[in-house]
Amino acid sequence: MRITIFAIVLLVVSMIVVNAQAPAANQAPAAGAAAAGRGGGRGGARGAAANNPPPTSPVTGNAASGKKLYYDYSCYGCHGYNGETGRAFVGNWNNLQTEAGFIAFLRLRADQNPRAPSTGMPNFPVNTLSDAQAKDIYAYIRAFKSNAPELKDIPTLNAIVASANRPYKK
Amino acid sequence: MAKSQKGSVNRRGFLKGAAASAAAGAAALTGVAAIETVEAQAPGAPGGTGAGARGAAPGAPPAPTAAQLARDAENVAPPAVAAGTRAANRPGSDLMVQVIRDLGIEYAAANPGSSFEGLQESFINYGTVPNKTPEWITALHEESSVTMAHGYGKAEGKPMLAVLHGTIGIQHAAMAIYQAYHGRVPVLMIAGLDPDGPVAQHNAADLAAMVRGFTKWDTQPATLAESLVALQRAYNEAITPPQGPVMVVMNSRLQKEEAGNLAIPVYKPPVIPFVDATRAKEIATGLMTANNPRINVGRLRTPQGVNLAIELAELVGASTSTSATGGPMSFPQRHPLCGAGADATYDYTLGLETNGVQASLISANLGTIAAERDTAHIGFSGIQGGGGGRGGGGRGGGAAAGPALDAEASLPSIIEQVKLQLTADNKRTIADRTAKHAAANQTARVAAIQQAVLTKRAGWDGSPVSTARIYAELWPLIMNEDWCLSSPSSFSGGHHAQLWDHNKPYSYLGGQDAGGMGYGAPASVGAALAAKNRGRIVINIQTDGDLNYAPGVLWTAAHHKLPLLTIMHNNRAWHQELMYVEYMAGVRGRGTNRGYIGSSLRDPFIDYTKMAAAYGMKGEPAPISDPKLLAAALKRGVDSVKKGEPYMIDVITQPR
Repeated sequence: MRITIFAIVLLVVSMIVVNAQAPAANQAPAAGAAAAGRGGGRGGARGAAANNPPPTSPVTGNAASGKKLYYDYSCYGCHGYNGETGRAFVGNWNNLQTEAGFIAFLRLRADQNPRAPSTGMPNFPVNTLSDAQAKDIYAYIRAFKSNAPELKDIPTLNAIVASANRPYKK
Repeated sequence: MAKSQKGSVNRRGFLKGAAASAAAGAAALTGVAAIETVEAQAPGAPGGTGAGARGAAPGAPPAPTAAQLARDAENVAPPAVAAGTRAANRPGSDLMVQVIRDLGIEYAAANPGSSFEGLQESFINYGTVPNKTPEWITALHEESSVTMAHGYGKAEGKPMLAVLHGTIGIQHAAMAIYQAYHGRVPVLMIAGLDPDGPVAQHNAADLAAMVRGFTKWDTQPATLAESLVALQRAYNEAITPPQGPVMVVMNSRLQKEEAGNLAIPVYKPPVIPFVDATRAKEIATGLMTANNPRINVGRLRTPQGVNLAIELAELVGASTSTSATGGPMSFPQRHPLCGAGADATYDYTLGLETNGVQASLISANLGTIAAERDTAHIGFSGIQGGGGGRGGGGRGGGAAAGPALDAEASLPSIIEQVKLQLTADNKRTIADRTAKHAAANQTARVAAIQQAVLTKRAGWDGSPVSTARIYAELWPLIMNEDWCLSSPSSFSGGHHAQLWDHNKPYSYLGGQDAGGMGYGAPASVGAALAAKNRGRIVINIQTDGDLNYAPGVLWTAAHHKLPLLTIMHNNRAWHQELMYVEYMAGVRGRGTNRGYIGSSLRDPFIDYTKMAAAYGMKGEPAPISDPKLLAAALKRGVDSVKKGEPYMIDVITQPR
């Protein structure tokens, strides 16, 4: 129960965050509309190297089935093929702490009807994605591992850090 | 040339409306004669094309005849000329090219058309060194021509020329013109009008009308002398704030007529509104007497404006902000004064093309010309009325109080006033403050980089390739080169903003300006034209959806040997739209699993290595999805473009 409450708190927080990224429904497309529209970058890269450990809660779904669903439902479109680019969840497991929390997250996003196009997390009512399917997707997602080596093991990034000390040359 | 003055009421009415604008007055007056000419010619144009036109039902455009099509297919031989004679010893279009050359126009991009064959012939044959400054660039689509000029204009802060063929060329170009207009980028266009031409549908009484709502200025000169003045005026209109695309409709007869002793008119540069001496002194005093002055720098007009901003900041020891990671012509990001500085409490802040606190110098926006260009009637979104302010044209920033004053034009007066106030004492104070700012900015920059690289590790070794890794692997390869990132970066994560140093006016050319796709590739070709003779290389991180609008620009880059490295951000979809439609399916409770329909590029996948090869562009032989192969491929690409050979690398990427 305690975990469920925690998940719901996380859910609410994450929804607030998502809503904060969408422009107000009555906002006229004016300055910056181009950037927010076809030329824009909302929902853009938010990749972050793993900074918190994956959950250890039970997994009951079928990961192989979940992999197919992950592609069929275009989850990769926002979360990357490996869950660590775009709206990454490897390292950001907030809504994925438990299977039940994940399913609740999918369901409780109903009745959002934005006027402006949104790249936020879609709603997944049970008629479009069953609990069993959601558990399969959860099983697949939970298998994702970080592909981010330690900084010391990436010469390119160390070269970039070193370049920060170069003198300015006009 | 105009025999009839019986123009239709409607057309006259339209012209009267256009003439209401003082700026367009000359254009409208000269346009009358040309319009009458067209009306006189249209029903029965020479070349055996009249029958089709006359036989058409009222209101229905006639179909091209076989003779028309044959001529467009280049199957018509030129008329015989008696030995020892020439139709024109000094063709009018030679003078046009001379005017364009004298204006410093480097390139003219065009997809060929019969309405400017005279002009094209002059470009390629006139002068002691023909077809060089300006050089004729072969484009495969008019939208590409204008977007090349758009990219060039952003990189150099001055216009290049796009030449368009009649109604059809203008309409092909229209989207690109609209985008350059919103970007307030100076672009010079010549639209050929051919009253003697083979296809009546290519002509119009008022040719520029169809893009008048999103050009800054146009004219249709009636005489050769007027046409030369018109080119100079058009150039001045293009580079005067609000900068924008301008069009000269050039009758083919003027191009072909004998110029005789007609002289080239003397060019007078425009006077761009700038601060008066009193205000310049106030601003200089504000900066000089402040304990911690600040200069916010937006997007200036030209590289010279950037140089002036640097000079002012250095003279007064002000820390500066920059928009260089978001677009061109701003303060160098790694200049020691760029950053928050040693103390972020500022007691005098000057804004240059962006808002300051005590003073803001912001040039005129598109709203200032909306009424005279019919934008108010059309009601384009993203264009706000009013005086100063960067609000118009899709770039942010609120309107500044007071009249629109161009920052770049104002800086010399302010610098002059600052120099008058410099003493040995305040020079010591300024030097001390500068050193403290430099140290603080350097520390902040190192910390920011250290933080940034941690986040860029995400998905580093994952396949397909992360967008962050593309930008990260590129930087060590180009950091010691003179480079320009020409493509909009928002879809590919914009990682350069955190990882790269944007120290040149053209380091990053910014977004699409009106959000129109099909921009990145041609704008990059334009940026590469700007780079070609300047020892600069151009990086284009190219989204796949964008390239497929008019990929023929790859051939233009190969043909003209442009230093352009194209790296595909190939996510096999229009991903923003995929996300939109998925969200909508969720809202309606119908599932996201069909969202790919209409927003994905799969079944089959497009192979950009083969596309580039088909256009004759060098490149990697196969798409890259293994990140470990990326760095070596990028090195081959950079090496190639440094030798003037454009190069394509198809990278299969993460969606974002």
